[in-house]
Amino acid sequence: MPRLKPPFQFLASIRLAIFVILGMAAIAAVGTITEARYDSEVAQKLVYQSVWMYIVMAALIINLIGVMVDRWPWKQHHAGFVCAHIGIIILLFGSWLTQKYGIDGTLTFEQGQSRNTIMVKDRELAVFSSLDGNSFRPMFESPVDFLRHPPTEKNPFIIHLGSDEMKFVQYEQFAFRESEISGTDNNGDGPAIRFELENPNVNLTQWLRRENLHSGAEIDLGPAKVILADKVPEPMGRNAVIVITKPGSDTLDYVIYNKDNTIRKKGKVKQSETVETGWMGMKFRLLRYLPHSREKVTYDVSPTASPISVSALRFFFQGQEYWIGLDTVLRIYLADRMYIVRFGHRALELAFPLKLDKFTVGFDPGTEKPSSYESQVEVPGRGTVKISMNEPLQYQGFTFYQSSFEKDERGQPIASVLSVNHDPGRWIKYIGSMMMVIGSILLFYFKRVQWVSALNKKKE
Amino acid sequence: MKRLFLLLSLVLSAPAWAQVGQPLETLPIQDAGRIKPFDTFARESLQLIYGKQSYEGRSATEIIFTWLLVPDHWLKTPIIELRHSGLKEALKITSTDRYYTPEALFTNERLPLIAEELKSKLDRQEKLNPYFQAVERLENQLALFQAIRSGEALRFVPDPAGDKWKALPELQGELRDGFYKISKDFIDSVSAAQANGGTPQASDALKTDVKNFMDLAQKQAPNKYADMTRIGWELHFNRFHPFKWAWIVYLIGMIGIFLSMSANQKWAEPVAWVGLLGGFALHAYGMALRIYLAGRPPVSNMYETVVWVPFACVAIGLILYKVQKSKLLLICSSTVAIFCLILTDLAPTVLDARIEPLEPVLRSTFWLSTHVLIITLSYAAFFLAFAVGDVMLFFFLKDEVKYAEQIRTGTQSIYRAMQVGIVLLAFGIILGGIWADYSWGRFWGWDPKETWALISLLGYVAVLHGRLVGWIKNFQLAAAAVITFSLVMMSWYGVNFVLGAGLHSYGFGAGGVEYVTAFVILHWLYVAYVSTVRYGRPKIQTSR
Repeated sequence: MPRLKPPFQFLASIRLAIFVILGMAAIAAVGTITEARYDSEVAQKLVYQSVWMYIVMAALIINLIGVMVDRWPWKQHHAGFVCAHIGIIILLFGSWLTQKYGIDGTLTFEQGQSRNTIMVKDRELAVFSSLDGNSFRPMFESPVDFLRHPPTEKNPFIIHLGSDEMKFVQYEQFAFRESEISGTDNNGDGPAIRFELENPNVNLTQWLRRENLHSGAEIDLGPAKVILADKVPEPMGRNAVIVITKPGSDTLDYVIYNKDNTIRKKGKVKQSETVETGWMGMKFRLLRYLPHSREKVTYDVSPTASPISVSALRFFFQGQEYWIGLDTVLRIYLADRMYIVRFGHRALELAFPLKLDKFTVGFDPGTEKPSSYESQVEVPGRGTVKISMNEPLQYQGFTFYQSSFEKDERGQPIASVLSVNHDPGRWIKYIGSMMMVIGSILLFYFKRVQWVSALNKKKE
Repeated sequence: MKRLFLLLSLVLSAPAWAQVGQPLETLPIQDAGRIKPFDTFARESLQLIYGKQSYEGRSATEIIFTWLLVPDHWLKTPIIELRHSGLKEALKITSTDRYYTPEALFTNERLPLIAEELKSKLDRQEKLNPYFQAVERLENQLALFQAIRSGEALRFVPDPAGDKWKALPELQGELRDGFYKISKDFIDSVSAAQANGGTPQASDALKTDVKNFMDLAQKQAPNKYADMTRIGWELHFNRFHPFKWAWIVYLIGMIGIFLSMSANQKWAEPVAWVGLLGGFALHAYGMALRIYLAGRPPVSNMYETVVWVPFACVAIGLILYKVQKSKLLLICSSTVAIFCLILTDLAPTVLDARIEPLEPVLRSTFWLSTHVLIITLSYAAFFLAFAVGDVMLFFFLKDEVKYAEQIRTGTQSIYRAMQVGIVLLAFGIILGGIWADYSWGRFWGWDPKETWALISLLGYVAVLHGRLVGWIKNFQLAAAAVITFSLVMMSWYGVNFVLGAGLHSYGFGAGGVEYVTAFVILHWLYVAYVSTVRYGRPKIQTSR
């Protein structure tokens, strides 16, 4: 007998339950299509965590509680029904705890490196200023959610810096990075060269640029390296072309190293001249030389996600237009100061450091297909611990999982990526799930008992 | 029984000289991260290049071996299967043919440009459309043909110094001579067989020389060499092909049940049981062999689940039969089994039967077995409900008063199967969550595969709730069993082959979309048709 009166009766009704179930299914279906079309972040934020989903969830909880109140006092055959429905409520509560108080991040470190910062999914925007280039003062730092609330020309996101302002006017979830290098007259800007490496099998044309006069820059092309420096570096056990800049001169010195650390050649090279490297019939041609250069980075909008697309922001500052990509840093040089703009994932400090001793990749015999990843990690107070796929490390309320690794240009692993997780809702979710399954088994069992007794009555 | 099989296999065997190369089939070869008999390698290679496992009635082993011996002959023989008409047009070759000579394709002027386009797409990690999938396949076909012809792909000898076995061109001294002898014996026995009208025999010389070569190869690195018992079982698995026999025997069983039910033929009953249980035993035997050979539960790719789900479906059918005594369950579950097993033979490019090493994250057999096995078990239960639903709809179409009794038991079967499916699916999803939590730290992440499993679960839960309030009566339950199965099709097949997104990316595949879509839409139309006919009829009194 229903105990609740309208309109409460509807809230506790199976009819509402059916609408709620179908609503959840429909939203979830839209979510998977969104993920296939864009990416999981878009699906998460715009579908699974949308207002609609929360409305359906709220209706579900009201309905579940309502239907149980409606059946009060419970009888023995209600055991399954009550158990399953309470299980669902507990499961949802656990999920809420996870979303609210859980931490989900990644820890990337190279062999020999010790780290205690993890990157979480949330993004933040920060601006620092510096007068001398050595000490920095934070001017602005704030978490941002541009996917949900994108800035536009009409409704920009503004950062005030004294009397100036940075006006963010465009956010793109998917964009491709484009860079353009051009000469300047500013004596503080670093030099750049454009070169070509060529033999019958290979033909490579690339820019190589230094940020300022004294920094170094190099490109690793696998069998050989090209280095742009202001003095001759020590040999590095690799084939290498070293180009040395001298302020005020348009002739450059070069040194060519062999793999065995001997010097093959030395000399001078000018723009559009060619040097025989001597290894593998390779020729080095200096196509362009810019004593002072600047790199202008822009982003091309991409309609869909691709593994090499990134998120990017466009803003105006002092009449100039800039683009900044996710997890990059942009330096803006003014006459008397420098600003650093950082847009990226938020960093979180752990109370303890982890050190990567060794990272190994196992392969299927005779193939280049990885079969296992394994990190040997030094844990404070525990010595060296192995973290591998399906074998995580539990430590101080956090769990560390082997997630992936980063490769260099030659496909050699350089850094291990762990995913780091803290989940206060874990056991609550497990308990809720188990209650749900046991409840449904009981539910169907009692259903059968009802049927059998009905059948027996019929026979009588 | 055994003699019967021997007799059958003799009748079915290919032309006489097909046995000449038999000793070669045993040769262990390292390929794609696994050691397998040459027979398996040859079948897989011919399947990829030619689209079949035999060529004009001759065994793959012999054909592949002659690519090495007389490469120039094969260069000029149309053996490269190419079906994509768009690609043919792009290559400017005649579009009516199905097979092309390697030579024509190697010298095709446009292919390098198209391959370049493919490469740039792969570099950018873009999703490939059917055209570029065809280009990729063609590239693989040509590369493999080239690698076999030159002996680069033929790695018969373990290397004591490394993991990679030695290819033919790297062999030296005794080993090279040993292989040369094998080739010579093979040619001798082929010409001898042709000369005296085809004696179906491999020469003793070939047998001994293959044996000697294997001994030599083993001596190179005894602990790296193949386990010959396993090789022997794999050869048996290839030759016997238990799944084919399973569906044939199931078919006999199904016809038996049908006759004993509809025509009331008493003699058909024992035949039915022998067929059903015999098919089930063969099915089990095939899966046991495959589990032994692959060293893992048989649920790691589409092919394996399409073999496993009907097995589970028959098992659930038998258990429910024990409770309900409805023979319809047996007919439906054996139909599902026959359908699925025939499908695995008909669509080898979509359902890739190769045994390949697993992705690293899947190499935890306990979790893989429990979570995927249980979810696929639920698919089996829903598949059974779907099949029974199909038959119920047929009864409704014919005469629902006359078949009232059948409809009543059928409805009960559907309801039971759905209940079993719901419990298994919910449990499987949760186990998947626990596995995901344990191995990459999140219980639920809205990954498309898990989300679609949830959507399927919600769909069936909605149906059962609808039944509680009386929105879903017998007819609607039958219709729902058919319609709701579309959700299972989406999570089973669609996520990997249509959506192609998410963490379960190791199971991605291509092809067959049009057939699966047609299958689903035809069933919707069937439901719509039966509903229209039924609602058009004058109201009759039916008991629920």
